[in-house]
Amino acid sequence: MAGKAIVVTSGKGGVGKTTTVANLGTGLALMGRRVCMVDADIGLRNLDVVMGLENRIVYDLVDVVEGHCKLRNALIKDKRVENLFLLPAAQTREKDAITPQQMKEICEVLKEEFDYVLIDSPAGIEHGFRNAIAGADEALVVTTPEVSAVRDADRIIGMLEAHELGAPKLIINRIRPDMVRRGDMMDIEDVIEILAITLIGVVPDDQDVIVATNKGEPVVFDRRTRSGQAYHNIVRRLEGEDVPLMQLDNDGLVERLRRLFNRDARRRKAQ
Amino acid sequence: MLKGGRDGVAIVIDEQASIEAAVAELRAKLSEAGNFFRGAAFRLDAGRRRLTEAERDAISAIVREFGIELREPRELRENPSIGRFSAPAAGERHLSPALRLTTLGRGDEMPAEEPTLYLRRTLRSGQRVDYQGNVVIMGDVNAGAMVTCTGDIIVLGALRGLAHAGAEGNEKAIVMAFRLEPTQLRIAHHISRAPDEEGPRPQGPEIARVKNDMILIEAYTPSYAP
Repeated sequence: MAGKAIVVTSGKGGVGKTTTVANLGTGLALMGRRVCMVDADIGLRNLDVVMGLENRIVYDLVDVVEGHCKLRNALIKDKRVENLFLLPAAQTREKDAITPQQMKEICEVLKEEFDYVLIDSPAGIEHGFRNAIAGADEALVVTTPEVSAVRDADRIIGMLEAHELGAPKLIINRIRPDMVRRGDMMDIEDVIEILAITLIGVVPDDQDVIVATNKGEPVVFDRRTRSGQAYHNIVRRLEGEDVPLMQLDNDGLVERLRRLFNRDARRRKAQ
Repeated sequence: MLKGGRDGVAIVIDEQASIEAAVAELRAKLSEAGNFFRGAAFRLDAGRRRLTEAERDAISAIVREFGIELREPRELRENPSIGRFSAPAAGERHLSPALRLTTLGRGDEMPAEEPTLYLRRTLRSGQRVDYQGNVVIMGDVNAGAMVTCTGDIIVLGALRGLAHAGAEGNEKAIVMAFRLEPTQLRIAHHISRAPDEEGPRPQGPEIARVKNDMILIEAYTPSYAP
């Protein structure tokens, strides 16, 4: 059975694409799926570092394309999880070292072997982005609740639609419930209203992610962390399960009612 | 060759090239673009070459495969007025209000000769529509997107980007949206922008038009008459 290729992209840099790929890849593999993560960020590879696999790289994506090795030789097996592999990017080359067509062919081959091919896209909308989406069947767009990130996500969604990768799904990363509550951060509804695509998950801002990333160990391993739980939920939604959004606030019903009332009052005042 | 211009996308046929080569190139370009242009209207510019009816039909058939209409050829304008935001240059198609009233009867206010582009999609950041005529969009126009046309702009959704109606100097042009929250509004040579402080959000459909040399935004009521 052929798997599917999903590109994780954002437009803006630093919103958590690589962390998302690492966690979703690991999470899917933990559920018994065969997963290959492809780092399409040639020249600025990170996924190997986040996965703690940097020291195992011998061949990379560009070596495969240029015929220096077979595809299977470049795949690195994860050190913790069965069924999880990484196809690393070349660090000493640039984005134009491969073409969208070559990327597409590699994804086709990988899809025969794996249930999921997760592609980590570089930031930006240029050649590297076009490579990253070339072989994808679906797209996940990552944004943070900031105006600039949402604007770039909007641009990217438009470009995905132009490449017939319609109906991408949205991950809102690094949301801070306390700031949302004070009205200092866009809330989920604000973001959804602008981007108007399906939300597949919300990941709270969490120090554990930084700790885990620096250790080269995806946070999804530790489901006691809020972010780990959030990634696990996204994994289950990718698998077709219907998982309700995690309750981000620690507050109870009273607080939520108060907020609802406040919003209502704001609207009435505006009239 | 495809060339984007002020009045939309033009298919430019090289005067020297053979028509077969031009047709093949056009097909390749459009396949590459996928569905991006679906629903658009293209202009055909063959330079000084005179196309035969059959050649024109061949090109028309190709673009129709990709869901594109071919508009009637129009003269290339040398001196675009967009970007200058000055009063329309002499010779531009521009009726003064007085002239309009004398030449058009009360019921004929809608300029019947203006074509209308209907888009059933959301324009996202970086996307842009230029049209010679009116534009109706069923969807949103997000911040970072841009709509420019010579007639009216109607958005059945939220307008958060930039809209320029009456781009060739028609001050009678209007911009209307269910949620009129544009980054910037332009009508003819008038420009207005959103206030720097976040004000109350519009609660219903609103309409923008030029009154006393300023762009004025009012709640839209169905009884509105131009």
